[in-house]
Amino acid sequence: MSKSKIEISDKINNLFRHEYGKLVSVLTKTFGTSNIELAEDVVQDAMLEAIKQWEFKGVPNNPTGWIYKVAKNKAVNIVNREKYKRNYTTEVAHFLQSEWTVEPSLNHIFTEKEIVDDQLRMIFTCCHPSISSDSQIALTLKTLCGFSVTEIAKAFLTNEQNITKRLVRARKVIKDLDVSFEVPTGKDLENRLQSVLETIYLLFNEGYNSINDNKLIRFELCEEAIRLTEIIAQNSNIQKKSTVYALLSLMTLNASRFEARIDAANNLIDLQNQDREKWNKELLNKGLLYLELSTQQKEISRYHILATISAHYCTARDFNSTDWQNILSLYNNLIQIDNSPIIMLNRAIVISKVEGVKAALRELNGIKDKTIFNNYLPYYTTLAEFHFQNNEKETAKKILNKALELPLGSSSNLILKNILKKY
Amino acid sequence: MQEFMLFIKTKGDHLENLSPEEQQAHVQKIGKYIGNLMQSGKLKGAQPLEMGGAIIHGKQGNIKDGPFNESKEVIVGYFHLVAQDLNEAIEIAKANPVFENEEATIEIRPIKQMDGIN
Repeated sequence: MSKSKIEISDKINNLFRHEYGKLVSVLTKTFGTSNIELAEDVVQDAMLEAIKQWEFKGVPNNPTGWIYKVAKNKAVNIVNREKYKRNYTTEVAHFLQSEWTVEPSLNHIFTEKEIVDDQLRMIFTCCHPSISSDSQIALTLKTLCGFSVTEIAKAFLTNEQNITKRLVRARKVIKDLDVSFEVPTGKDLENRLQSVLETIYLLFNEGYNSINDNKLIRFELCEEAIRLTEIIAQNSNIQKKSTVYALLSLMTLNASRFEARIDAANNLIDLQNQDREKWNKELLNKGLLYLELSTQQKEISRYHILATISAHYCTARDFNSTDWQNILSLYNNLIQIDNSPIIMLNRAIVISKVEGVKAALRELNGIKDKTIFNNYLPYYTTLAEFHFQNNEKETAKKILNKALELPLGSSSNLILKNILKKY
Repeated sequence: MQEFMLFIKTKGDHLENLSPEEQQAHVQKIGKYIGNLMQSGKLKGAQPLEMGGAIIHGKQGNIKDGPFNESKEVIVGYFHLVAQDLNEAIEIAKANPVFENEEATIEIRPIKQMDGIN
């Protein structure tokens, strides 16, 4: 593809990002999961053709309908032209090959309900547990969210080659395992849903916690994670949704603080210093609603607890009226399910509010496996802050200076230097 | 559930005598009929057949090429269905729009089931 073509396709992908995801999902059902790339190519082609036409004739009244029509025609042509070259095993492809069934079949697969169901099937396909999580995320962003390779590379602060490799690997696993385009049922569903939610939460955190300077892309990752989870929540094929709503609540509540927690120079502002007027009320209310929905089934996951903690932060009138006591007991519940070092670190911060900084330091130093903290900025800033509050200014400075020697990246170094100035 | 083959037979090409408008109306009707079958998950496949082709008849060593009787009914297409039982398959066949235009025959044959190899 030429450079200008790529630019145009980036443009149109932005405009029709979600339509792209819908079409790729429907066409993956049509061609089979081993032909995901073909589905992507067909949709990409349809969009390029749209651009070409519209440049001369202007944008039609119903541009989306236009793109759908082109994509439909291309799909029919491909299953008929390459009838014997590729092996299309799907029922849909079979129907598209007969004069009698082609029209009814197209009408059927492009109904609103089918499209929504196919997106869900696509989510489960992309987040198949046999695919590594970074490949899962890349494939999800590429197929369901209409991100270009360039955009994904930007979001993950890596190069395009790397992302292309991840995509190739993901598609290969799907092909090799002949992953079916289905939402699993029964016991299988529970396990698979858990791993899907994990991937989505990773995607969200990529946006929420990354040190990427591109705030726009970061927020988009958060939005996409929420949108994908909403697709799951709205689908009637999945009955037990308590965990889905809990994750949705956690993400929307956190996202409501997105704007307020980053300053103009892209530095992280801690909760205490955030301008609460900047919190997004709409997202906040949505998050509280989802939290309520998540309690309708007797089930508790780490997302439930994390969402409740986030709700406590979001609903406190100001920082000083935060209900630290309650938050601490929630953390105590949480470590029964998940006592990973990062959770323990966050719990220590809450302990510093409830029991004082000495207890918090004891807690933090008591964490056994600290290897994960090696390149984890919040560990150093928290540890330094505890010592600072404990009137050990020199120790605090020493910790920050030590952190400055680590390969944490320039944004992190800036944060460290700013704190050092304060001490 | 059981699978059935429905062979649609008419005397010659049943669409030949229809005006373009009638043909279009027929196509729409059959489209709706097939669409409904598809949505209820009862259709496995359906294809029209070309009018040409060949008939061969006889016994090994004495096979003759057709045609043998031009006025006879010809198979113009088939439906591959999944239905509860023969009665349901009959009901589905009766609703076929092919009967609206002229005389037609639909032969409904259950597909022999294989229970597996012992």
